[in-house]
Amino acid sequence: MNRSDKKYGVAALFNSPDDIIKAAKKVTEEGYTKYDVHTPYPVHGMDKAMRLKPSKLGFITLTFGLAGAAVALLFMFWAMSIYYPMIIGGKPFFALPAFIPVTFEVTVLLATLSTVIGMITFFFKYPDQKHPLHDTDYMKKVSVDKFGICIEVDDPLFNEEKVKELFKGLPFESIQTIFHPAEEKHTVLEPKFLGFLAAVAIVVSFGTYVALNKILYTVPFDWMMEQPRVDAQSKSEFFTDGFGMRTSVEGTIARGFIPYEFKGMNEPTVPLSNPLKPTKEVFELGKKKYLSFCSPCHGNYGDGDSRLGENFPKPPSLHSAKAREWQDGNLYHIIVNGQNVMPSYETQLTRDERWAIVHHIRALQKAKNASEQEIQLVKKESLENAK
Amino acid sequence: MNIDYSRELPVIQGRLSLAEIENLIASPLDEKPGKKFFIALSISLSLLFIGVLSVGYLFYKGTGVWGLNQPVGWAFDITNFVFWVGIGHAGTLISAILFLLRQKWRTAIARFAEAMTIFAVMCAGIFPVIHTGRPWLAGYLLPYPNQHHLWVNFTSPLVWDVFAVSTYFTVSLVFWYIGLIPDFAVLRDRTVSKIKKIIYSIFSLGWRNSHRNWQHYEKSYMLLAGFATPLVLSVHTIVSFDFAVSIIPGWHTTIFPPYFVAGAIFSGFAMVVTVMIFVRKIFDLEKIITLNHLEKMNKVILATGMMVGYAYAMEFFIAWYSGNPFEQFVFINRALGPYAWAYWIMVSCNVISPQIFWFKKLRRSIPIMLIVVILVNVGMWFERFVITVTSLHRDFLPSSWGYFVPTIFDIGTLLGSFGLFFTLVILFTKTLPVVSISEVKAVAEGAQPSHHGGEH
Amino acid sequence: MQSNNSYTKKDLPLDLRNLGFTLLVGGIILGVIAFFLDETRAIFNYLLSFVFIVSIVVGCLFLVALEYVAGADWSTPIRRVSEFISSFIPLLVILVIPLLFSMHDLFHWTHEEAVEGDKILQGKSPYLNIEFFIIRTVLFFVIWNLFYFIIIRNSRKQDKTGDQSLTKKNIIYSAIFIPLFTITITFFSIDWMMSLEPHWFSTIFGVYFFAGSVVGALAAVTLATVLLKEKGYLHPKMVDDHYYSLGALLFAFINFWGYIAFSQYLLIWYANLPEETFWFLARWEGGWIFMSIFLIIIHFVVPYSLLLSQPAKMDPKRLKFVSIWILFAHLIDLYWLIMPQMHSEKSGYFYTILEFAFPIAAIGGLILVFFFNSKKQNLVPVGDPKLDRGLNFRL
Repeated sequence: MNRSDKKYGVAALFNSPDDIIKAAKKVTEEGYTKYDVHTPYPVHGMDKAMRLKPSKLGFITLTFGLAGAAVALLFMFWAMSIYYPMIIGGKPFFALPAFIPVTFEVTVLLATLSTVIGMITFFFKYPDQKHPLHDTDYMKKVSVDKFGICIEVDDPLFNEEKVKELFKGLPFESIQTIFHPAEEKHTVLEPKFLGFLAAVAIVVSFGTYVALNKILYTVPFDWMMEQPRVDAQSKSEFFTDGFGMRTSVEGTIARGFIPYEFKGMNEPTVPLSNPLKPTKEVFELGKKKYLSFCSPCHGNYGDGDSRLGENFPKPPSLHSAKAREWQDGNLYHIIVNGQNVMPSYETQLTRDERWAIVHHIRALQKAKNASEQEIQLVKKESLENAK
Repeated sequence: MNIDYSRELPVIQGRLSLAEIENLIASPLDEKPGKKFFIALSISLSLLFIGVLSVGYLFYKGTGVWGLNQPVGWAFDITNFVFWVGIGHAGTLISAILFLLRQKWRTAIARFAEAMTIFAVMCAGIFPVIHTGRPWLAGYLLPYPNQHHLWVNFTSPLVWDVFAVSTYFTVSLVFWYIGLIPDFAVLRDRTVSKIKKIIYSIFSLGWRNSHRNWQHYEKSYMLLAGFATPLVLSVHTIVSFDFAVSIIPGWHTTIFPPYFVAGAIFSGFAMVVTVMIFVRKIFDLEKIITLNHLEKMNKVILATGMMVGYAYAMEFFIAWYSGNPFEQFVFINRALGPYAWAYWIMVSCNVISPQIFWFKKLRRSIPIMLIVVILVNVGMWFERFVITVTSLHRDFLPSSWGYFVPTIFDIGTLLGSFGLFFTLVILFTKTLPVVSISEVKAVAEGAQPSHHGGEH
Repeated sequence: MQSNNSYTKKDLPLDLRNLGFTLLVGGIILGVIAFFLDETRAIFNYLLSFVFIVSIVVGCLFLVALEYVAGADWSTPIRRVSEFISSFIPLLVILVIPLLFSMHDLFHWTHEEAVEGDKILQGKSPYLNIEFFIIRTVLFFVIWNLFYFIIIRNSRKQDKTGDQSLTKKNIIYSAIFIPLFTITITFFSIDWMMSLEPHWFSTIFGVYFFAGSVVGALAAVTLATVLLKEKGYLHPKMVDDHYYSLGALLFAFINFWGYIAFSQYLLIWYANLPEETFWFLARWEGGWIFMSIFLIIIHFVVPYSLLLSQPAKMDPKRLKFVSIWILFAHLIDLYWLIMPQMHSEKSGYFYTILEFAFPIAAIGGLILVFFFNSKKQNLVPVGDPKLDRGLNFRL
């Protein structure tokens, strides 16, 4: 490294650890503050000789360690108990004992990384490759087996003669003056460097694109996508009938479906009675299902005024005397079985929905054929309710 | 031989000067590698190549190429993982725990052991990733915001493993690097090659041997050691949780955490001794890595070997004492069942063979210690195999009982991991100082000021 | 200068003897009252303080052995403190006798009618039977006493002769003692504490008790060292660095205890097997839940925080406080292990006060033993070749 003629400081080398301790003590006693001791390894007792305050590094560690613990615990609490709570292994959402390992690891990770990064950047002000001491004969010796002390020009008490005088009073090995390095010019925004950055950006983006969009769709990465399986509606060469999809074995009953015992008969031998209580919910369900499935042909009020017009035969009114005399079980039978051109609604409606429709039909029948007395009663009640 | 107990044993033999120490350690880096180096490297690279082939085929075909079956769905992969993580415990133990215990002899072996830790954890890290057969999906192990709105299951020991192993790797690497900074500065100031100088300068970050820096440096080393110590324990503890939180007899037992940690130290020290025996010979470091060091390591091996033996015995005793027929069956089956051969290899290698170290002469004999430490390595691999496979191959349902036989791909992957480990170790010996220069200088005779002067 | 820098033997004050005597007699009187008021509770309390004493005094012998085996030198100047505490070991033989006579009150498995209807207990009867139990207990005491006499005698002989071969011999005996210690302490804890609930089992139990014993022994040694050093009974050349080592060891073993306790709890909690969880459930019901949480705080959280920083580990005042605190926490730990197994009809604050009777007597006994040992012996192993090294120990 070329040197300028600007002085950095005066340095002395010593041969033994005892000498350097003595020198450091002396320099400290003289009142110098901007000086440093350079040794190939930490020499015990030097902190005292230099009157250094204990390192404050521990505070960084403590702060970040506690922060790590808090962040880890709070995050796991949020993710596992609030954001997406799931019962895992019968444990509570906030399973504290099971969170301790991760909390511990995150604490250690943050504490150590912050300690090291804090030390290097905050306490050392590193990286520093341009320091005047680099590449000096002095530095080369202290990194092997000599012990050096260097007083900087910036020290308020600095006086070259006096400093040399001070060193000469000690069992020194050699004394030298250290100069600042000659200034070097750097242009960060050189076209070469910018070109290099651009090339790196292009290569990285292209690589990412290829990896995510092309490579992941090649063998063997796509083997989870292309599985040897029979898809729905596809042909199969394994079965003689050529169908990939199989029908269930005869007599199979789906879960939750109770077979209707009078299926296929014209009339039920013993009409069933409605198992549902006529509650508000049942009426609402019945109305909803009636309007969806029955009203296109039977009309919204069961009058048989089909919305399908002339394209489909109109069914008889549900208010006929015959229909009104039927038991609930008969109505249910027709819904399950169908009648004349009416198809079976067994697969569209569940058992409860069918019975709810029966309730609804009963309500329609009642409403269409109410006596005057009953109408008055209803009016009166609804007036009272309105109040 | 009579020892004078009133004097501390010197850490370094032969009163070397500071400059001689530096030369001894750093000169191998200045010379071009010799023939032996390339022979060793080609052997380890061949092993690595076998591993790469096995893993490549695994990726192509899936985990079916391994000998896994129902009920043994976890065998060589987890065995190798635990084995390598265990090996990786010695380094941080030596650098952290022995540092806190003020054991000066650690300085000679700490750097090498730390490097071995890092390489062993790298070997270990491969297995959880490849054991899925679909390693490109391994990112799912990490908690990151994703389109499924799902986080990883933080109560799962496998996720704890991800945190523990990655934290351990990071912290070990940082610890190792911190130790290397002053040495990079030494190399920077030593070298005559321009390119080397630039590289060393970058890594030394501008280190100037300043005492104002040394002060914080020592503090940070201490803090890091303080954190690394519980970290070492936690890593193998969490590895043991992988097994022990389950309800499988033979896996679920409360002694697993300390038992695994003792086993890890045991196997790690054995591996360090194995490698050290060769390194000190090849690099002429017999004066720095002395027979006393190896003897102390052997004592630790003896102690931890007995701890492992204690755990085997406790498991057996409590299995009987518990009165739980499944527990009792598993342990009788271990000792007398189809895998009895593996069990007895484990017991004789781990518990019986280190007992030789009770005798001072044998403890200090290089050939004997080499045999013992290799046996210990074998035994500790079998320990993990026994724990994993014998507990699985007898299911609760006798109809699903099975027997695991490894395929060549299982064995190839295991060999490959050794290849990777030794390749990295061999490359390390020629790129970085294998012994910490500044630390060894600091414990040389006369390196510290005499403190009989009313210093304190 | 020279006289200030070397050790001169001084007798401990008679006040200490009087204190020990008062505590012992007071404790015994209270204990007798407790025995007449509530026999079951009293015998359990007696067991508690017995285990407390064993953990500390045998733990101290372990510390002595550990120093020899590890080749440590910093602890040599204070080794006598551990030796004096461990000289309680011969007295344990007398203390155990009342317990052997009241095994029926303590151990469910000694009830023949209970074993008859219980398949699991029948399966355990080859191990859990009175004869074998007594044989084992005797064996533990033989081993502890044997090594106590050998190691301590050699150490004391060295004061006069300064013979280095005694150190070598003690290293060998210590190396043999440590494995035996771990085995005996494990089975001691299984016999005297785990088998109080004979259906429960945990492989880590011995390690848990080991951790607790070392913590207790270290706390006792630290407390005695700080007190003696303050009053000038130890070697004047001892410095903060020695305190620091004690503090750091205490800190390490506090962590170790926490680690073992957590491992045991986590594994049982996670696997959730009824044959294991019931033991913790018994400690999670009623007032015991507070005791369990309290234990975590006083045995781990508080000492951990108090000893975390580096200056704290070498501050004698802090160490004195923490070691008393830890001794109390160790007692509570054992209380938490033993007492949920006690079923007594009587309860109330009065009985709680009486529960301190036996621990008070135990502490009195320890003080007395320490006092009488210090009369005859040096408080510093003056003949030990490692003493100088130990005194010059610096961090």
